[in-house]
Amino acid sequence: MFEALFGTRPDGMAIVPRRSVAGRTLMLLIAIMTFLSCITLGGVILVQQSAIAWSSDIGRELTIQVRPVEGADMEASIRDAVALAESTSGVGSARALSAEQGTDLLEPWLGNGLDLTSLEIPRLIVVTLDDPRNADIEALRQNLSASVPGATLETHALWRQQLNAMAGTLVISGTLVLLLILAATALAIVFATRGTMAQNRDIVDVLHFIGASNRYIATAFQGRFLTIGLQGGAIGGGGALVFFMLASFITASVLPAPDASQLTTFFGGFLPGLAGLFGLVVMVLIMAGLTAWTSRLTVNRFLSQIGA
Amino acid sequence: MIEFDQVGLRYGFGPEILRDLTFEISPGSFHFLTGPSGAGKTSLLRLLLLSLRPSRGRISMFGQDVTRLERDRLLQMRRHIGIVFQEFRLLDHLTTFENVALPLAVRGQPPEAYRENVEELLDWVGLGNRMNVLPPLLSGGEKQRAAIARAVISKPDLLLADEPTGNVDPELSDRLLRLFVELNRMGTTIIVATHETGLLKRFDYPRMTLQNGTVTAHV
Repeated sequence: MFEALFGTRPDGMAIVPRRSVAGRTLMLLIAIMTFLSCITLGGVILVQQSAIAWSSDIGRELTIQVRPVEGADMEASIRDAVALAESTSGVGSARALSAEQGTDLLEPWLGNGLDLTSLEIPRLIVVTLDDPRNADIEALRQNLSASVPGATLETHALWRQQLNAMAGTLVISGTLVLLLILAATALAIVFATRGTMAQNRDIVDVLHFIGASNRYIATAFQGRFLTIGLQGGAIGGGGALVFFMLASFITASVLPAPDASQLTTFFGGFLPGLAGLFGLVVMVLIMAGLTAWTSRLTVNRFLSQIGA
Repeated sequence: MIEFDQVGLRYGFGPEILRDLTFEISPGSFHFLTGPSGAGKTSLLRLLLLSLRPSRGRISMFGQDVTRLERDRLLQMRRHIGIVFQEFRLLDHLTTFENVALPLAVRGQPPEAYRENVEELLDWVGLGNRMNVLPPLLSGGEKQRAAIARAVISKPDLLLADEPTGNVDPELSDRLLRLFVELNRMGTTIIVATHETGLLKRFDYPRMTLQNGTVTAHV
């Protein structure tokens, strides 16, 4: 079992040399590919989780917009709209933003220092849903248009749809990139394995001459390549973990507090968490397995091509 | 045990290196294979090692026609054959002990089953104190002895040796030959390729002489 896995006997006899230029190159290659795979995987998970979180947050909120209507009392309309919202099933709370808060929301687009008092700016009411699935939004919309002049209901459905489409595209693109990295790794392993076999041709010949079967030789080489894959994968996975920790440290320490907070709001934390760590370990194992499997096929092909 | 019938060998489309070889070697015999350099001794040994297939003719070994035997079967049959290469071909990354134990290790024997035998044999060939040394640090003679120990450790039915005493002094050369003689007494068929006339005189065994790719004498 030990021999089959790692190409060494329990007494430490390694049929395939532990150190070789080709082996070191392959380990470096796998480390880089694992790093790229983990970063891609991390990015995909980050985008997916953020999209789910945004979508869920936005799905719990509605906005009632009350436009000024000639002859109508704005404050009374707002009170009516809040009361209507609060009496609708599934609604947790309804909070009207003050005129100043509404003006503040325009600052990022219009800049500060502008006197907006002469403009008739609509007032906003933020409605938070307790139970989005059972909220009777259509009833609220109809009641608002019937009872409150100038009131409209915004459910952010279009924005959520666009957000989901964008997140889905990013996840699919990331997955494709991941598959391409794995395919490129497999191809590189084929070339590296052939190089290693050519470098160790004399060992293969001697093993054949003393009666070793192809299966024995393939197992010895596969064990060596599995070890290289595990070492390279661990280096790449470890590097990715350090990268995520550094990214998290930079957002927390280097960026000014409001920017860091904004980034965290948009993308969540950079630390991968337990699920992310599990993903990293799985990626390392996939890389090691891919190395062992690809090299086994290549070694078998090499052995069948050379003479006995 | 070994039968050659009108065997010829050529590499690719080149001229025949060996031609019309017809001879028999009975089990438990001891033969010297001699002849000038370039006569085809090493090629004949490679045919006997089953690492080359003849271009024509028929070779029978251990009661089987090996001319068209499947590759896997050939590899299995090699377990009956021990080989000492002219250029030793020890694995540089393994210690002397591991090199000698290799034929037993590839047969799946655990280290505890062969450790004592390997150590005893290494003592016998004078490498008892060089067991944990890597081949690049061994002298030519030590490598030669390690290569011989590797060839005989599995007590093969047939032992092939290509110039096995080329790098050792006459005293050690006789000692190594006596190891072959001892193995031969225990039933191993021995074929030693050499052009050392001194050795041929000291050990009186049948000689097969190769000249220009064909056997000119078998006495």
